[in-house]
Amino acid sequence: MYDLGVRIKKSRFDWVLMFAVIALMVIGTVAVLSSTVSLNSQSRLIRTQFFAIGIGLFFMLVVWTLNYQIFQDQWKYVYALAILILLGVLFFGVVDKGSRSWYRLPFFSIQPSEFSRIGLVLVIANYLDKKGPRIREFSGIIVPILFSLPILFALLKQPDFSGILTTVPVIMIMLYCAGANIFHIYVILSYVLLSALFPLLWTLIALNPDLTDNGLVNLFFDLASFGWNTLIFVVSVIALSYLLWRVFLKFKPFISGIYFAGIAVVLISGFLSGIFIKKQIKEYQYKRVEVFISPEKDPRGAGYNLLQAKIAIGSGGFFGKGVFSGSQARLGFVPEKHTDFILSVIGEEMGFIGVSLVMFLYAVIMYRIKKIASFARDRFGYFAACGIFGLFLTYFVINFGMILGFIPVAGVPLPLLSYGGSNMVATLSAIGVIQSIYSRRYSIT
Amino acid sequence: MIESGDDFNRFDFLWLAVYFIIFVFLIKIINMQVIKYSYYREMSDKNRTQIINQTAPRGKIITRDGVTMASNKPSFSLIYFPNPQNSQQTIRKVAHLIAKYSDSDGKKIYASILKSQGAMKPVKIADRLGASSIMNLSELKNFYQGLELISEANRFYPYDNYLSHVIGYVGKIDSNDWKIYSSDLNYSMDTFVGKTGLEKLYEGKFKGKDGGLYMEVDHRGRLMRIMDSRQGVPGCDVHLTVDFKMQDAAEKALASLPYKRGCAIALEPATGRILAYAVKPGFDPNMFVNYKEDKKEFDVKFDEFNIGVQGTYPPASVFKMLSTIAILESGKVRPDETFYCPGFYDAGDRIFKCWEKKGHKEVDLLKGLAHSCDVYYYNAAYKMGPLAIETAARKFRIGLKTGVDLPGEKSGNLFGPTVRASQKSYWFIGDTLNLAIGQGETLVTPMQMAVITAAIAGRGAIYRPYYVEKIVSRDGELVTGGKPEKLSQVELKEETWDLLYKALKSVVDEGTGRQAWIKDLEVYGKTGTAQNPHGKDHAWFVAFARRVNEAPGVAVAVLIEHGEHGSSAAAPVARSVIKAFYEDKITPAPEKEEEAGEAVIVE
Repeated sequence: MYDLGVRIKKSRFDWVLMFAVIALMVIGTVAVLSSTVSLNSQSRLIRTQFFAIGIGLFFMLVVWTLNYQIFQDQWKYVYALAILILLGVLFFGVVDKGSRSWYRLPFFSIQPSEFSRIGLVLVIANYLDKKGPRIREFSGIIVPILFSLPILFALLKQPDFSGILTTVPVIMIMLYCAGANIFHIYVILSYVLLSALFPLLWTLIALNPDLTDNGLVNLFFDLASFGWNTLIFVVSVIALSYLLWRVFLKFKPFISGIYFAGIAVVLISGFLSGIFIKKQIKEYQYKRVEVFISPEKDPRGAGYNLLQAKIAIGSGGFFGKGVFSGSQARLGFVPEKHTDFILSVIGEEMGFIGVSLVMFLYAVIMYRIKKIASFARDRFGYFAACGIFGLFLTYFVINFGMILGFIPVAGVPLPLLSYGGSNMVATLSAIGVIQSIYSRRYSIT
Repeated sequence: MIESGDDFNRFDFLWLAVYFIIFVFLIKIINMQVIKYSYYREMSDKNRTQIINQTAPRGKIITRDGVTMASNKPSFSLIYFPNPQNSQQTIRKVAHLIAKYSDSDGKKIYASILKSQGAMKPVKIADRLGASSIMNLSELKNFYQGLELISEANRFYPYDNYLSHVIGYVGKIDSNDWKIYSSDLNYSMDTFVGKTGLEKLYEGKFKGKDGGLYMEVDHRGRLMRIMDSRQGVPGCDVHLTVDFKMQDAAEKALASLPYKRGCAIALEPATGRILAYAVKPGFDPNMFVNYKEDKKEFDVKFDEFNIGVQGTYPPASVFKMLSTIAILESGKVRPDETFYCPGFYDAGDRIFKCWEKKGHKEVDLLKGLAHSCDVYYYNAAYKMGPLAIETAARKFRIGLKTGVDLPGEKSGNLFGPTVRASQKSYWFIGDTLNLAIGQGETLVTPMQMAVITAAIAGRGAIYRPYYVEKIVSRDGELVTGGKPEKLSQVELKEETWDLLYKALKSVVDEGTGRQAWIKDLEVYGKTGTAQNPHGKDHAWFVAFARRVNEAPGVAVAVLIEHGEHGSSAAAPVARSVIKAFYEDKITPAPEKEEEAGEAVIVE
C-alpha cells in the first residue's frame, strides 16, 4: 500500500515538470530558428513548429483533464487505433527518404508511429497491471511482446528502424520495472541483439567484398538468404545444443535441458528474424553502420555528417558562439540540423552551458516522471509512467549517444527540442498522461 | 496498491543508470567543448573559411629624378569555387567556356577545376585576364555561380625596354626558383619572381607580403561572403642612381642609330653612380608578365646579352688615353717632341699603318691624341718601352672586374710584357706597337671603359659603379642604401693630368671627337675604332664633361658594334647623354667666359 506518511502537496499540476518541458521547447524553438536561417523554408518550418506546440499543449491539457484510467478501460480501442494508424500508413502513407511512414495532410504531415508508441506503452501498462504476478513467468513476459509485435512489424515494413530502436528499449524498461525475471529479459535481449547482429554482420561483409576471400566468412555470408543453408543451419544448431547438453550432463548430472533448448531457440529465432530484417535494410542505412565502424572511409558521406556535428559541438566551447552565430549549422555543414542534430546546434551556439542545461532539463523531466510514478494511485499509472520514463530515457540516450559518437548515426530526434510536429504532439500528450497521473495521485480522489 | 517493494528498487536502479549515463555524457561533452575546444574551433574555422591569396604589389623601381621605371598594374584573376553537386558535364562545359573566354588551354583549366572539386577548395584558374575576357567571364557567372573575379597587382614597366638589362624581368616561379623560395610562405606555385637583373637581385625586398581574401563558404564551398580582405604589404621601393632624362637621351640616341647593337654608360665620376645604362637591343619586360605558357605561338625571342658588362672589345684608340699617361709619366718622350707620320710605321719586318693613309706629317702629343695618330704612338711606345703602358693600364684596372652589381660581368684582358712573361711566351716589337694603340690582346667591357673615363675625369679616383641609391620600405623606412666605394686612386703628376685634359679637350674641339662638342660646356673625349676581323669595326667614344671651373659631372662611354667610326657613330650618343645631364644645369651667364677659356686651351 501507498506510504501515507509522505506529505503530498495538494496541487493538480506538476509545475516543475511543466517548467522543464517549456524550457526545453523554448531552447528548441530558438535552436530551430537559428539553424534554419539559411533555409528558404524557414518561415514554414517555424510556423509548423508553433502550430505543433499549440496542438501539443492542447492535447496535453485534454489528456490531463481526462482521467488517465480511461486508457486502461478502453485499452482495446487504444491498441486497435495504434495498430490501425500504423497499418494505414503502409497503404496511404507517402515515401520520404526511403520510408513510407508519413500521412500527408493538406498543411502538414503526420508520423503515426510516434502516437502508436504511446498507445503501446498504455496497452502494455494495462497488461502489466492486470496480469502483474504472471510477469515472473516466461509466458507472462511473452504476452506484452506479442502485443508489440504487430507494431514492430509495421515499423519494419515502412521501414522505420529508428522507430524500432526507440520502441524495443521502452518495452524492455517496462518489463524490467514490472519485475520480470532478469534471465527472461536476457533471453529477449539476446534474441533482439542476435536479430540485429546477423544483418549487421552481413551488411558489413556486403560492404567489404574482400572479406569473402575467407571461406568461413563466405559461408556465413551465404546464410543471409533463405534456402538450403537456412535449414542446415537450423538443424546443426539444434544438434549442437543437444550434443552440448549431453556433454554437460556427464559433468553435472542434473542440469536441465531447457537452457540448451533456450539457447537453440534464441539462436535460431534471432537468425531467422535477422534474415527477415536484412531484407528490409535500405542502402543508406548500410552506410550508416559502416561509417560508425570506420568513419575515415567516407569523409564526405555519413561519417562526414557525424564529424561535422562533433565539430559543431566542440567549436562551441564553454559559452558557445552565440545564438544565430553558429557557422557549422548556418552554413549547412551539419545535416538535419533542426531535427536529429539539433543538439549540435545548441552545442555550437550555446556551448557547454547550453548542452548541460538541456541535459539537466531532461534529467528533471525524468526525475519528475519517476517521482510521479511513485505517487500513482494504481499500478496502471505506475507502469504508464515507467513507459514514458523509458521513452524519454531512450530518446535521450540514443540521440546524445549518436551525436557524442557513442552509437551509430540513427535518425532519432530529441523530444520537445527537435523540429518535428508528430513527435512534439505525441510527447506533449505523454506529458499530459503524466500530469493526469499526478493530479489523480493517491491522496486525491 | 503496489505490493512488491522489489519493483520500486528496480526503478531506483534504473535511475542510477540515468545518473551513470549523464555522468558519461557530461565527461564526453567536457572533453569536446572544454578540453578539445581549440581543436574543434580550428576545424570549424577551417570549414567555413577559404583563403585566396592576393599578390601584394611589388616594390617600385624609381629613378633619381622620380620617374617610375617599374610599377604595378591591377589585373584580374578568376577564382573557381567547387560545388559537390557539379556534374562532370557541367565542369567540362564551364572549363570549356573559361578556356574560350580567357584565351587559355582548356585541358589545363579542366585539370585545375577537377583538382578544386576533389579538394573542395577554391582555386585560381586564370590570371592576368584582359578586358574582353572579364566581360565574358562576368556573364559566365550567370551560368555557373561559383566564379569570382578578384583584382591583383601585376608587374608593369611603363617604359618598355628602358633600362631593361638593369631591371631584368619577372616570370612565373619555376622549379629552380622554387628551391630557393619554397621555404618562404609568401611564395606559391603561381607566384611571379624576379628572373634576372634587379628583380632577381632584390627579389626578397620587392616581394612584400601577400594579402588574402578570407571568404566564408558554405558546405558546398559556395562563397557566402568575404569576411576579411587582408591587404598585402607592398614590397620595398628601389631608388636608382639612374637619371631618367639621361637614360631617355641614351636610349633614344641608340635607337636612332642604324646599328643593331650598342651601349651607352654614364657615370658620376665623383661617386661611381651609374647615371644612364642603355643597351641596344633591350627587351620589353612586360612580355614576360603577360606570357602564358600554354600559348605556343608566343615564342620569346630576345637578346639577354648585356654588352655593357658582358661584351669585351679591343679598346682601340680610346686606349691612347692610357698610352698618353704612360708617355707623360715615363718622361722618356717629351710632350712637345714630334714624330713624323707618313701614314705608316716601319717596324723592320712589318709595316704598321696609321688609320690616316695620307699621314699626319709632324705630330706632337697633343696633335697625336687629338687626331689619334697611330704612328705617333708607335714611335713613342718604341721609345719608352711597353712596360710603362702596361703599368698605366694596370693602374686603371684593366683586366679586373669593375664590381658593378650586374650578372655575368667579364673582366676583359690586360695585355703587356709582364702578362706575356707570366704566360711563358715572348714579347715582340709588334706587340708593343699594338699595345700602344689599344689593339692586340687588350680587351675591355664598355663598363670598364666608362670607369676608366670616370677615373680620368676624377683625377685618378676609381669608384665601383653602382646603381641602387637606396631601398625604402613603403613606410618610408630606409632598408639599405648604396654607398660610393673607392676601389683605388691612380696617382699621377699634376702636369700629366693637365696635359691629358688639354689633349682630350682638343679631341672634341678640333680632333676626331668634334661630333660631341657642346656649346657652353667643356667636353673631353676620345674616339676609337676597334678593328674587328669578323666584320665592320666597332666604334668607341668616351667622354667626360664639366662646366668651367667645376669638377667633371659626368663620364660617358659609348660602344657601337660595327659602328665603324667612333667619331660618327658613337660620339653623337655621348653628346646627347652629356647634354641631358647638363640640360637644366647650364646657365647662360658664364657663356662668354667659357668660350674665352676654351680658346686659350685649344691654342
